[in-house]
Amino acid sequence: MGNKQTIFTDEQLDAYQDCTFFTRKEILRLHSRYHELAPHLVPMDYTNDPECKLPLALIVNMPELKENPFRNRIIESFSEDGQGNLSFNEFVDMFSVLSEMAPRELKAIYAFKIYDFNVDNYLCKEDLEKTLNKLTKEELTPEEVELVCEKAIEEADLDGDNKLSFADFENMISRAPDFLSTFHIRI
Amino acid sequence: ELVALSTRDQIRAIRELPMSFGEKKHIRSGFESQAVKDDKLPFQCHSADRVNHYTLQRVIKQNSTVQRLEVIGKFGTSVLSYFVFLKWLLMFNIFSFLINFGFITIPLLVYDPLPNIPPNVSFRGLEILTGVGYFNYTVMYYGGYSNETLVGQVDYNMQLAYFFTIAVYMVLCGIALIFSMASSFKTNHVLADPASESAWQLLCSWDFSVTNEKAVRQRKNNLCVQLKESLSEKAQRKRLTLSEKLGHFGVYLGSWLLSTCLILATDAANWSLLQEAKTLLVPFVVSLMNLVVPLFYSLFNKFEHYSSHRRLIYALVVRNVFLKVSILAVLCYYWMNVVAETFCWESMVGQALYRLVVVDFLFLMLGSFFGEFLSNVIGTRLLPRIGVPEFDVARNVLELIYAQTLAWLGIYFAPLLPAIQIVKFFILFYLKKVSLTQNCQPPQRTGRAAQMQTIFIALLFFPFFVGALSIVAYVSWSLTPSEHCGPFRGLNNSFSVVGVWIHHLEDIPGSQWAIWIYQNIIKSEIFYFIVTLIILMIIYVFWQVTQGRKELIVLLKQQIVNEGKDKSYLLDKLQNLQTSQPNKTNKLMNQKKV
Repeated sequence: MGNKQTIFTDEQLDAYQDCTFFTRKEILRLHSRYHELAPHLVPMDYTNDPECKLPLALIVNMPELKENPFRNRIIESFSEDGQGNLSFNEFVDMFSVLSEMAPRELKAIYAFKIYDFNVDNYLCKEDLEKTLNKLTKEELTPEEVELVCEKAIEEADLDGDNKLSFADFENMISRAPDFLSTFHIRI
Repeated sequence: ELVALSTRDQIRAIRELPMSFGEKKHIRSGFESQAVKDDKLPFQCHSADRVNHYTLQRVIKQNSTVQRLEVIGKFGTSVLSYFVFLKWLLMFNIFSFLINFGFITIPLLVYDPLPNIPPNVSFRGLEILTGVGYFNYTVMYYGGYSNETLVGQVDYNMQLAYFFTIAVYMVLCGIALIFSMASSFKTNHVLADPASESAWQLLCSWDFSVTNEKAVRQRKNNLCVQLKESLSEKAQRKRLTLSEKLGHFGVYLGSWLLSTCLILATDAANWSLLQEAKTLLVPFVVSLMNLVVPLFYSLFNKFEHYSSHRRLIYALVVRNVFLKVSILAVLCYYWMNVVAETFCWESMVGQALYRLVVVDFLFLMLGSFFGEFLSNVIGTRLLPRIGVPEFDVARNVLELIYAQTLAWLGIYFAPLLPAIQIVKFFILFYLKKVSLTQNCQPPQRTGRAAQMQTIFIALLFFPFFVGALSIVAYVSWSLTPSEHCGPFRGLNNSFSVVGVWIHHLEDIPGSQWAIWIYQNIIKSEIFYFIVTLIILMIIYVFWQVTQGRKELIVLLKQQIVNEGKDKSYLLDKLQNLQTSQPNKTNKLMNQKKV
């Protein structure tokens, strides 16, 4: 191995490698991407675990996320405070779950969190309506939106409580073989 | 329970936990302190283990070139599946070329490096296109191979080598195709549920990897259009009157009749041209038909009203498959019945296939040029109403399947044909990629790419691979090899090399088992009959098991619904109890205090 980097200690890099789906090189690359977002805020030396969080407004401008209709929700679901401020650990976590190495179950958990706009652990009709509006940029009439969401709940709700619990969602995901390849952001 | 696993499994389990990074680190440090206490391996061993594990995983899973990033980002995963399919077919050809070259050509070249070319034939550039002339006497075709046992350090029986190499390759191909077809079918059809169309569109269909702004906007529009269509379909389905239904039916019938007529016309044209034996014209016409007739089919589609986009694609695919199968059938019939009487007929068939492959390649390039580049130019500058052309995944994949079938047919007659195929696919890959990025827009419908993938692999297997295999089997079983050239000259059919070999083995002591196997298993019909019976019984048993499981699924779903109803009933009862008796609980508490 060539030049010694001074951003992380070896133990830190090992911890990252073990807890995420990235290799050392990719973690260093992620750090440089994180640093690019706010060069004056993000320290180059992470050996003593600095407390540095970047706000949602900065992260949302990354080219991988800029055009995604769910960019705000994605960032919020990975942030600890729920407001979208990501530390480097959470940043790495986010891209790790969205990478192609993450298994289906893990992706399903986070996909559920992303679509759950009111954070009540259920996908109720309002959540689905907001999802649909983000996907179609409000070109459907409210009646059409309601019809589609009702049909979706009807199809996927197994226990009959008119909202989708995580079990319903996971059941539907398990029967969609494309999910692993569509729920994937490459960085 | 995580403690009990090995290091690797621990790492994998930690990564798959849905917790934040900080919590995972905490768990991990708990393991490490325990590991340091327990075993005596130094820390470096663990990290080396990790590095190997990761890099191997990466090498296996990662296929990331910058090009792939581009394709995903703009076009999505369904177009990517075309390129993955192309690469997969390329693997077949590389394998075929390696074993053919290694087992058939190299021994001959080592034994007799100079091909015996008649003195007045020299290499002109035209041979690359027509395949005759100079190439005729080289190892390119069947005729260039000898039928002797090559004497050297080891006696090498050319006849057996030729026969077994081709046979083993075809069998391995078949097995690979069956396995991939079965696994694709399992993940994409059996476990997929077509009944949740709306929920799927809403929650699973958005492709997160698309990052290009225009592509994203396009997909949003497409989704809108699809949703509106499916909503209006439901409304419309109730409103179709009888006369409208009859009208639709008439249009379907008309277009199917027209397509069948087109196919028959193509076949008639081919047959008459074959009779006149114009060497380069036949492949030219065949490829032209392959290019033009599918365009007519797409035109028909504009007049027909199919109830869903998927049925439209299926109809298109079925018609194209019929066209290609019929063309190949006419050609094979001509070769088997008319050409097979002539001098050194296998080489002639090999040459015909060579010409077909080369001309097909030229037409694919031209098709890419006219279909995509010119359409782009016309669509953007001259007639902006038409717009940018779409990358039609189905048509392109069918062209690949047809090209691969030609290669499979040609392996027996021209063992080095896979080399040409490798070059062809290689150039096609880069050509299509460039054409894609410069000229096309992503497909309008974000259909279920995974299901289409299964269908394409299934089509590759049947009818195309099975057809090629049966033609080669027919040739080796029933047709007399030509008497003056090739490795099987002088025999009644190619398959009798095995008989001759077994006959020779009788002289060698200790190989009685091989002779016994040949006489009683391969040659006897009872064996195959018994095997077929056993397989049928196993299929029946599995089928019954599947039926039982389907019923079980229905029962379990009903049980989930009932549990949900129970839960809501109990919740309601609890609420009622709490609201109706707050005073009673207060009294109880007061009594207790006292």
